[in-house]
Amino acid sequence: MTSSTVSPRERRTMNTWNEILKRIGGKEGNIIPVLRTVPLFKGLTFRDLKKIELIVHERTFMPDEVVFHERQPGIGMYIIKEGLISITKTVNEEKVKVAEFGDGEFFGEMSLLEDFPRSAQATAVVKTELLGVFRPDLFDLLERHPKLGSKILMNLSQRLANRLRKLTEKKLKEVE
Amino acid sequence: MEKDGFQKLWKAFEIIAIGCILFGLLVVLYLIKGLLTPFIIAFVITFFLSPVVDYMEGEGVNRTLAVILLILLTLILLFILWKLTWPTIQTEISNFQKNAPAYSNKIQGGLERGMKLLEKKAGFIPEGVLQKAVQQKMNDLASRTKEISSLFKIGMGLMVNFILVQVIVFFFLKDGRRIKKVLITYVPNKYFETFLTLIYEIHQQISNYIRGQFTDALIVGVLSIIVFYSFGINYAMFIGAVVGIANIVPYIGPLLGFGFGSSLVLIDTGSIFDVLKFIGVFGCVKLVDTIAITPLTVSRSVNVHPLMVMIVISFGAMLHGVWGMLLSVPLYCSMRVSLRILYRGFVGYGNW
Repeated sequence: MTSSTVSPRERRTMNTWNEILKRIGGKEGNIIPVLRTVPLFKGLTFRDLKKIELIVHERTFMPDEVVFHERQPGIGMYIIKEGLISITKTVNEEKVKVAEFGDGEFFGEMSLLEDFPRSAQATAVVKTELLGVFRPDLFDLLERHPKLGSKILMNLSQRLANRLRKLTEKKLKEVE
Repeated sequence: MEKDGFQKLWKAFEIIAIGCILFGLLVVLYLIKGLLTPFIIAFVITFFLSPVVDYMEGEGVNRTLAVILLILLTLILLFILWKLTWPTIQTEISNFQKNAPAYSNKIQGGLERGMKLLEKKAGFIPEGVLQKAVQQKMNDLASRTKEISSLFKIGMGLMVNFILVQVIVFFFLKDGRRIKKVLITYVPNKYFETFLTLIYEIHQQISNYIRGQFTDALIVGVLSIIVFYSFGINYAMFIGAVVGIANIVPYIGPLLGFGFGSSLVLIDTGSIFDVLKFIGVFGCVKLVDTIAITPLTVSRSVNVHPLMVMIVISFGAMLHGVWGMLLSVPLYCSMRVSLRILYRGFVGYGNW
């Protein structure tokens, strides 16, 4: 589970993009600007993002509504378009808050790779709009657009490698 | 405690309600089954053609353009195939029409002789009852054949269906994903992930089956026509086409194709040698199919017990005739996988 924020520079670039696309007739819509902020889709062109937009599912969750349960089989990740999500884990039959994610942040990306039960529960704190990207659609996209799929998988691998490095460093420090 | 009890009751009510809605939908589909045929045909063609469109899209061709090009290419190929095979088909049809009364007499004669023997052996059946019944059935068959002989009517129906199917295939191929996405928006949040997995699994089951079985049937059909033609079997094109189409239905299909072919050869020539020749040739085709074609085309088999397949196919035939027979196995597999996912999602993980 991770987070990212939009810098003023990135916002300016996005606005310029919107302006260019408006002139050539393409429509940026309200999903592509959110997708641009996700590190997983880093380095993708407007055309690529348009293809991702087609596999993205928009869902609205009410306050206290559960996005997914702990131990439920995970099938994909969610990007927060607008709102707040609380991540809780059951410890000794008590629900413990692990993290909280806001606008532009995303969670559950590990489920894009494997059919493994969710490690925690995600619940909407306020009315929240989420964009879901799911494994079956991503695999379908990989088959249809292998170049685009490999870019996404490369970004995902980099994130996992980073996380593994950090974890190894932490363990090494503990041993020392 | 009381709250828990109420929640359990409410959940049970929810499941019953969903079950009723699904059952209602099935009843509606059954009632309008006549209207569904072009959609079923289009559905099957879409599954068959979509990998080609996906490939073209992957190579950078716009999806709409890819669909138009593919449909045009298919129509051109069908036209060429029609032009190449029409003279043979015409000859086979005219031969069949010419010989039909003789075949009918042969069948009637054989059946009457059989019934006469049965009446004699059984003893308790009054003489002539079974023979009369056979005569009446044969006359009914002849009058029905005359009723549907309005070729213009059939031709118009086929044309309307053909155009309708092409239009539906175009939209299924072009907007299939969008349609699916729009339908998914109506699913409540708590069932959303389970439903998405369900749709994906059903899609996999049906597409694997349809692509595999139809490719296998196409190859077996073409191979049968070539081999039957090479061995000088009469109505090679007709029998080969029936053998190919029947091959779509697992287990029962090849038996039906064999039964039809050997009966036609026997009625046509009346020679046991010709029937044995047909059996030998059909056996060779089936051997090639089992050893070389099936492992390549039906790679991910549906893995259902043969007895279950036969029961399911019988149900399919009862509900929707030939199309029911063809689609009953993938539908059964989809239902099986759906129950597994629903159980895992709703009961196993307390999703509801």
